[in-house]
Amino acid sequence: MEDFEFLRNVTIGQYFQGDSIVHRIDPRTKITIVMILAVINSFILSFTGNAILLAICTAFVLASGISFKFMLSGLTPALPIIAIFALMQLFFYGDAYSPYGMELVVFWRWGIMSVTNGSIQLVIVTLMRFLEIYFLVSLLTATTTTTDLAYAIESMLEPFQRFRVPAYEISLIGTIALRFVPIFAEQLEIIMKAQASRGADFGGGGMFRFVKRTRQMATLIVPLFVDAFRRAEDLILAMEARCYTGGEGRTKIIRFRMERTDHIIIAATLILAVMMISFRNHFPV
Amino acid sequence: MKGNGRRIVEVNDLHHTYLRGSPLEVTALKGVTMEVYEGEVVGIIGRTGAGKSTVVQHLNGLIRNREPGKVIIDGQDMSDTSLDITTIRQKVGLIFQRPEEQLFERLVGDDIAFGPKKLGMPREERRERVRWAMEMVGLDFDRFKNRFTFSLSGGEMRKTAIAGVLALRPKVLILDESTTGIDPRGRRDLLSRIKGLNREHGITLICVSPNMEEVASMVDRIYVIDDGRTVMNDTTREIFARPEELRRYGLGVPQVSAVASRLAEKGLAMPRTPLTVAEAEEDIWRILSS
Ligand SMILES: Nc1ncnc2c1ncn2[C@@H]1O[C@H](COP(=O)(O)OP(=O)(O)OP(=O)(O)O)[C@@H](O)[C@H]1O
Ligand SMILES: [Mg+2]
Repeated sequence: MEDFEFLRNVTIGQYFQGDSIVHRIDPRTKITIVMILAVINSFILSFTGNAILLAICTAFVLASGISFKFMLSGLTPALPIIAIFALMQLFFYGDAYSPYGMELVVFWRWGIMSVTNGSIQLVIVTLMRFLEIYFLVSLLTATTTTTDLAYAIESMLEPFQRFRVPAYEISLIGTIALRFVPIFAEQLEIIMKAQASRGADFGGGGMFRFVKRTRQMATLIVPLFVDAFRRAEDLILAMEARCYTGGEGRTKIIRFRMERTDHIIIAATLILAVMMISFRNHFPV
Repeated sequence: MKGNGRRIVEVNDLHHTYLRGSPLEVTALKGVTMEVYEGEVVGIIGRTGAGKSTVVQHLNGLIRNREPGKVIIDGQDMSDTSLDITTIRQKVGLIFQRPEEQLFERLVGDDIAFGPKKLGMPREERRERVRWAMEMVGLDFDRFKNRFTFSLSGGEMRKTAIAGVLALRPKVLILDESTTGIDPRGRRDLLSRIKGLNREHGITLICVSPNMEEVASMVDRIYVIDDGRTVMNDTTREIFARPEELRRYGLGVPQVSAVASRLAEKGLAMPRTPLTVAEAEEDIWRILSS
């Protein structure tokens, strides 16, 4: 049975009001933490290391007061792709990947396909790393308003303005892009419903009939692009109508100040990063 | 008068919650009841966010009800999971607000033929369907079928989109604020063509519109929905004779009806609540000449 509501489950880019500690810390602190944790994420290949990191990310989600189930529901549309990648890794990595901290053991082999303890570990660790990044990014946008995000990015890029980095423009582009994700999801839902009303069939064909699904995409992509260009034009006109000229010399009503807690949190994350990265070769599995 | 007496749409105590179980959960319907008979023209009015669009999306299965309440279309229960939804969508055509946003083919004719093609109709029959649908909305078949979709004017695009739904030959046509945002003349033209579909082809019409003048001139019966519930249900004339009650639901009445009720307050009662300027004129002449 088809259901058009899943599009609203786009959790990335959606802000949820709240008063948790995660909501209240300075947006620059949040971005810094996310960046540090992302660096750790890219260094750590072991199961133990990722378990620690995943636990930290989970703790952040719990602290934010946003329902865990809802957070995960945003992944539903991507599940088939994730499943395909996981299966490919599991069967086709073969002996190419030696398991972290263990001897290679082959469990099963058939032609070019094989399952080893290495490929099993790889699948699990990849999924964990994916979840960590997913939690971090969704949490950042879920607990920070786009204005705060823009402000944070701009103020973090300010020192680089000396080297002609267009700090304000970069943060503006980022904000607009994020802001439009839920709008396009909504528009896509409307277009899907309209096409279904005149006979298009998005539910049938099964998850894996790619050709059929791709052909159906045209009925959605074309109207969506037309709409996107229209919205972009409207936005430009609206900005010009309000005499928008760019970031130079613009002042702000709200100014953030980094407090002691922010410095403590960043320092703690940094220490964690240094420890995890320097011990990364000493984890047991 | 209730059409030809065959009930084609039946909605009974319908409930619906969007995004159930998420932080953004909204209960949009809390008990909507309505029925529509074949050949009728029925209106649904209500303030913004009342749940009108949610109701009509249940009628062609864009939203399937899994909550308390029943939706029965042409004798088929919509909560039945074995139901073939495409046949329902063919029977019940739904046109949204700004339908021109759904166009995607390069040529007008191809876009209108999309639905019939999906039904697996042979070429010749498809062509006939497209011709008929274009005629119904007032687009000349030979002149428009090979025009580029995106080079049309806004009004023509809208007509193309409506023709795309009509090409499925629905028994019930639902218009969800589909005439907003076009010029008054184009709007009158479109409305009279849509009325013609009802008069000449017996298509049942369900109109959702924020414009009371438009509703008054189109429909026989009205359902008023407020906060997800059916709160009023009567003939158009009876509904617009109760401006006080409508105001409570954030709605107004057509200007002529308002003038008539003001005249009645001043002791100059009209024989009936006029719905259109023509009706009011007729009644006033009758009063003056008697
Ligand atoms: N797809 C959706 N997801 C979540 N909530 C929705 C969705 N569509 C509508 N709602 C909510 O459900 C309620 C009823 O909306 P609906 O669109 O049915 O109202 P409406 O009577 O058609 O209003 P309008 O006159 O503005 O079109 C509103 O509170 C709206 O915010
Ligand atoms: Mg609506």
